[in-house]
Amino acid sequence: MKRARLLLVSALIAASTLASTAPGAFALKGQVRSNSDGFSMSCVGFADTYPQQLYSLTVTQMAKLGFSIADSSIGPSFTKTAFLTTVLQDYAVYVHSHGDNYWASSGAPNVDSGFLQDPGSGRCNDYTRDVVRSSSIKAATAGSPYNLVIMSTCFLGSDNSTMPGAFQIEQTKLSNQPEFYLGYVGHVYDSSMLRFEQAFWSYINAGNPYYTLWGAFTYANSLGGYAYPDTADPFRPNWWGSSTYRGTPTVPANG
Amino acid sequence: MSATRSNTAFKSAIGVGLLIGCLAIAGNSLSGAGQSPRPGESASPTEPTVDFQLLDAQASPIVFSHATTARDALGFPVGVSRTGKHVKDGFQHAEYDEVDELDAAGQPISMTQLDKSGRVMSAVRLDASPRPATRIGRDSALQAAQRGASAAGMAAGGTASANVDPATDGWTVRWSRIQDGIGVRGDETTVQVRPDGRIQSLARVEHQLAAAPAQRIKADEAKQFASNKADLWFRAHGSDYSIDSMDLEWVGPNGAFDAGKSIDPQPVYRLAWVANVKPSGDASKYLWMVTVYLDAGDGSLLGGDFVE
Repeated sequence: MKRARLLLVSALIAASTLASTAPGAFALKGQVRSNSDGFSMSCVGFADTYPQQLYSLTVTQMAKLGFSIADSSIGPSFTKTAFLTTVLQDYAVYVHSHGDNYWASSGAPNVDSGFLQDPGSGRCNDYTRDVVRSSSIKAATAGSPYNLVIMSTCFLGSDNSTMPGAFQIEQTKLSNQPEFYLGYVGHVYDSSMLRFEQAFWSYINAGNPYYTLWGAFTYANSLGGYAYPDTADPFRPNWWGSSTYRGTPTVPANG
Repeated sequence: MSATRSNTAFKSAIGVGLLIGCLAIAGNSLSGAGQSPRPGESASPTEPTVDFQLLDAQASPIVFSHATTARDALGFPVGVSRTGKHVKDGFQHAEYDEVDELDAAGQPISMTQLDKSGRVMSAVRLDASPRPATRIGRDSALQAAQRGASAAGMAAGGTASANVDPATDGWTVRWSRIQDGIGVRGDETTVQVRPDGRIQSLARVEHQLAAAPAQRIKADEAKQFASNKADLWFRAHGSDYSIDSMDLEWVGPNGAFDAGKSIDPQPVYRLAWVANVKPSGDASKYLWMVTVYLDAGDGSLLGGDFVE
């Protein structure tokens, strides 16, 4: 029995190692979503170019990490339904949108964090219709493990965010599981997210097998040069999960 | 079986399927070396990459010497070995030399990046930071940061700001760059201080500045330019706005409003009036602020930024 378990664990480790050499039909899945219509000409009178830049960057770099990018979209097909019905099969998730720590339906001080789906062509975001709450995600993920979750939004990296828990990632920096959550604490300029995430991906995908996602985060966090809206609201990225996880798609040994 | 276990089992089944698939194609994959991009190689001509050339300590002694000086000045740990490389960073549009200190397992424990003149651009510890029960105070952090910057040869003048860093539980200390009394947006010297007072990282960001325009439009005129834009953006779409600030700053022109605009990847910064426009009404529920850069000479739109 023990030998069989060891074999299974070895097999899973081998599988996750080989996943990066065969990024195709067999790779673990990741999804990348970006809200662009909420920040488009028809809604705000100008075209915010950052959602496309962040989306393109992530699709390329998450795939380079070894995840098979499936069910991903920028624009109208980033809907609440599309996200919630596909997220269970994923091991990596990226969202760029407006995000906040909203009051839970039970009322303050309980929080139910969320982000806004794309409103659809020619429409503007409406909170009541468009919010994708962490409680809904928690139900959709049903206790399933996730390797990498990036919330490229405002606020979802703050201590009171309930978004990490929606993906079963505990708000600790001492996890021994292959999991990593990245978010931002306060208001964040798009340019700062782009600069940070570019540095993050450039490090982790540099080809050094010893590099970790935490190292990538630490490197990006050290660079400085990030614009912020107010001295009282500086640029503050945050993370939770494992400091030793290298970011390759991995089925947790206890999962 | 609970939903949790059954769904975890579902994902595990995917993993086993992955194994079978991978083993089936392993021979092809392993013998097909060269089909996948190797470290440092470009996977596609259009995506940014980090290309590098390894540096030998004997052939590039100055690079390693400067990195050693920075490491010791900042109190970073000494590795059992080091690697060096010359890097062309397509993400940051920068070229630099980098030296990594490695532990016995080959794990990087610090990294130092040097510009072409050998000055430190950034240095960061990558070993685990202890998390003591208490964090040093703000004043102590400021002093530690000042000492670290000085020791590494970075002049850090002017007023510093210090904020708690949630990622390290330490402090981030910033000296914003001021040129001729005017702030340079994003340019700064940054020192991160660990909760125990040791230096976590140090970095300097500095852009080239263009000559200031011979004549500047006044703040009121710039505000009118910003209002003209904001009327179209918000009032024409049923929302409203306020202009919260209008400050002179050096800024990097960008394509924030126009994906087709040709942008210099290493922009020379220009003097601009910077307006923070805050929407109200419906737009405020998904767009918190638009920052607009208006050329200080003629009020033309140089770019901007968004807080969604």
